[in-house]
Amino acid sequence: MNRRAFVFSAAVASGLPSFNALGEVADATQAVEKIVGNKNVSRGRVTLVIPPLVENGNLVTMKVSVESPMTKTDYVQAIHIVAEGNPLPNVVSFYLSARSGRAVITTRIRLGDSQRVRAIAHMSDGSFWQGDASTLVTIAACAEV
Amino acid sequence: MGKTSRTLVTMPASAKKGDIIEIRIIVQHDMESGFRHTETGQRVPRDIIRDFLCTYNDIEVFRVELHPGMGANPMIIFTTVATESGTLEFKWTGDDGYASSTTSQLLVT
Repeated sequence: MNRRAFVFSAAVASGLPSFNALGEVADATQAVEKIVGNKNVSRGRVTLVIPPLVENGNLVTMKVSVESPMTKTDYVQAIHIVAEGNPLPNVVSFYLSARSGRAVITTRIRLGDSQRVRAIAHMSDGSFWQGDASTLVTIAACAEV
Repeated sequence: MGKTSRTLVTMPASAKKGDIIEIRIIVQHDMESGFRHTETGQRVPRDIIRDFLCTYNDIEVFRVELHPGMGANPMIIFTTVATESGTLEFKWTGDDGYASSTTSQLLVT
């Protein structure tokens, strides 16, 4: 039995529900629930772009765009960014209006680990749409002193 | 007076009516996440910018809620429709009485 198999079986044997990552995803699910309430989140319309490989998690450029006509009656109200692997999954929330013209935003965020990042768009008709992107982080944010 | 810091706003000085203009904002701030520790193991307290607001002739057009997951020196690129000539005001507020603001003029033809 190699070391990895041993560690795994030990974890199973001890009955721990285990990987820390699972707990973090649960946190993110909670964060998402706080944003959307009991509404359904559909997939699509939201495109999130982050580099697939990030050398330094302290400053990661991300671009989010939502398909929307951005008219007075049909526009994007808000876009929320949730990072599943961060100690605090909420990263940032943008509040737009019909006067934004386009629902495209670029910013720089921190990533604590290799993970999936979700972007949730809140439309003016009350519906929620989601897009996500996964990335590999070699040096995590909040690691250094 | 609370804390303040340098800000930088890049946007066109003029635009045609109905054009979508791109606004790029950067503000100097460490965005101390509250998750870091010093060498002696003490937690460094959280100190971040919490809100950003952009108003166009006193009407809110864009607002952001920031959390510790935002990178240091928060940079955001967003857009707005040029509706009329006037003033765009940019305001940041944060922990420990932090506040910064700046304005830009836009000429709409």
